[in-house]
Amino acid sequence: MAAYRSEGTAANIWFDPTAKSAEIEVRLAEAGYLGRVADLQQVYRPDERRTVFSPDPQIIQFSDSSTIIHGNNPSDLSGWVDSMLSQISTPAMPPLLSSAPSEDERQQIQSNPFQFCQTSTVQVPSVTYQSQVPQMDLDSGIQLVHLLMTCGESVQRDDTPMAISVIDEMRSILLSNNINTTFGIGKVAGYFIDALTRRLFTSGGGSSSCCCDFFSTVESEILYQNFYEACPYLKFAHFTANQAILEAFDGHDCVHVIDFSLMHGLQWPALIQALALRPGGPPFLRITGIGPPSSDGRDSLREIGLRLADLARSIGVRFAFRGVAANRLDDVKPWMLHVAAGPAAKEVVAVNSVMQLHRLLTDDVDNDATSINSVLGWIHDLKPKIITLVEQEADHNNKNFMDRFTESLFYYSTMFDSLDAGGGNNEQRGLAEVYLQREICNVLCCEGASRTERHEPLTKWRARMSGAGFKTRHLGSNAYKQASMLLTLFSGDGYCVEEIDGCLMLGWHSRPLISASAWRIGDDVRNSNCSTDDNSTLMMNNNNNGGSSTTNSSSSTSSNNNINSN
Amino acid sequence: MHCHPHHRRRIEKSGFHNVNNYDGNTANVPFNLNDNVDVLAEILSRLDGRTLGLAACVCRLWSVMCRQEAVWEQLCGGKVAKEEKSVVIALGGYRRLYHICVGPVQNRMQDVDEGRRRSIRWGRHEIQLFMSLFSIDYYERLGCGSRGSSLMFLCKAR
Repeated sequence: MAAYRSEGTAANIWFDPTAKSAEIEVRLAEAGYLGRVADLQQVYRPDERRTVFSPDPQIIQFSDSSTIIHGNNPSDLSGWVDSMLSQISTPAMPPLLSSAPSEDERQQIQSNPFQFCQTSTVQVPSVTYQSQVPQMDLDSGIQLVHLLMTCGESVQRDDTPMAISVIDEMRSILLSNNINTTFGIGKVAGYFIDALTRRLFTSGGGSSSCCCDFFSTVESEILYQNFYEACPYLKFAHFTANQAILEAFDGHDCVHVIDFSLMHGLQWPALIQALALRPGGPPFLRITGIGPPSSDGRDSLREIGLRLADLARSIGVRFAFRGVAANRLDDVKPWMLHVAAGPAAKEVVAVNSVMQLHRLLTDDVDNDATSINSVLGWIHDLKPKIITLVEQEADHNNKNFMDRFTESLFYYSTMFDSLDAGGGNNEQRGLAEVYLQREICNVLCCEGASRTERHEPLTKWRARMSGAGFKTRHLGSNAYKQASMLLTLFSGDGYCVEEIDGCLMLGWHSRPLISASAWRIGDDVRNSNCSTDDNSTLMMNNNNNGGSSTTNSSSSTSSNNNINSN
Repeated sequence: MHCHPHHRRRIEKSGFHNVNNYDGNTANVPFNLNDNVDVLAEILSRLDGRTLGLAACVCRLWSVMCRQEAVWEQLCGGKVAKEEKSVVIALGGYRRLYHICVGPVQNRMQDVDEGRRRSIRWGRHEIQLFMSLFSIDYYERLGCGSRGSSLMFLCKAR
């Protein structure tokens, strides 16, 4: 731990650009990192504006945590000796003299690969190295990447002093003029260093309350709005889901959409307009929006509902809105949604979840009575015509901290790169980055119940939905064409849309970042009791009078407003 | 058409547009575009957005003509179904639709494809996308205190 500070010259190694790579390798080896600086160039290929990580297991070796070398930890002598012995037996001993690697050295390294990251499914394309990037920047960038990994490992081992010293070194690099902190690895590293610092310095690792809940509801909405404006991910989500819902509602005159996260309701104007223009005329549309209760006395759900009703009235769509205020999705009970069920009901239901279901996941994978299963259960009982599910395409729900750290480093650097290349003014982009930073902090700093950003890749969601009795509903070529067209309007050439098994994925330079899929009820009918009120059927039969009714959810003060319009 | 040889000589000599009255009088009337508003409208409806903006600065009549919805309707894709037209009018009109959605997209595509200044014929999918974006724009304008349009991305140059 004190290896970096004990000698005056050693402390300068990290940010002295003229330090020989041999000395750097010595330092890295002391930290348990067996690698060669020359080989590190395979890992980090900086473009002018891109951060691309290539987890090539053949080039990088990271010693197993059980044999890691503590530079100056005298109590771990046996571990140090073990690691020395194991190094002698493994042929891949890094030469301390910087020289061109001979052929058999390369083969030795390749014959003993160690998985750099546990989840090796991340496939990132290699970007050709452009020589405009000054060598200084390149070396600093590489150093930053490996310091980040070292720090992550230290945090996983609960080696706080080592982690803190590595963080200090990274900060020094960022403060020196060797790296540009406005884009690429410099910027991403800044955010990750911040998250690691939070994790180290908040008490108890934040199991009870998350250290990242520093935004009020209003501020969260502002961040969301800026994220919506600065990059196409949310627009893609909304447009794709709307297209699927529109196709599912074809031929039905009484339709009901349940939105798991209303926010500003930006998804729904386009659907209302599309329903107004569909051949055969618009149906009677009901939207039920779920959102957090507002803290400052304003009833934001009702305001959104009024705006949507205004729009619907202008273009001639019969419309009704209901708001359900709840802090968590599992606080919502099905009866609050007032879905008419039974054989006489003509109403067709669509459930829309944009980046909400992952908040219900827990670390407990075997327990059947978890939140996600109960929510999927009552969704199934509603018998919806279609469920649209949009989620981040990343594996951030690992119990292992280092896995989450590596995964999120790749994912969010890609995200930040796409933000850099996109349009939008600096203010929008900055607030969008804060929005992402909040996610990063939650993924890295929080544990247990307070960690809500539990992203899982589409493959896991498919398994989960199939297990809950749902079947895939293909999204179709119209959705694909619309998504492609939307992307051509955005500046920044790197976006790509892929269609995989009927689901659409939007990514940046062939790294998928967000996935959209649609589901329907499977053919086997599960035994379920449809718990609905009989009163609900009164409401849905063309009740065009204005009025409002309130229903409280059990664990939060809330109001449940009903707004109708012609 | 019978043309009296006496009239023919006058046409050849003067080059003016000849109004042929049946009682034999001819008058030499210079053709003034501003007097033939329908012809003007036809011409204006074939211009692209930027030229229309320039044309609106010529004189008062032209300024009024350039604000006509019919002109911008042409630019936004030509004749559309009746329901669509009523929706577009309700959401703010064709001129705004062009200004917000169609124009920026067209400019962007013309940046890519140099030299094509004629208005592009939009397909079904494009029109649906424009309508969606237009409805979002209307919705944001409804909101009190919403700072800026989320469609600003359309206006940014590549």
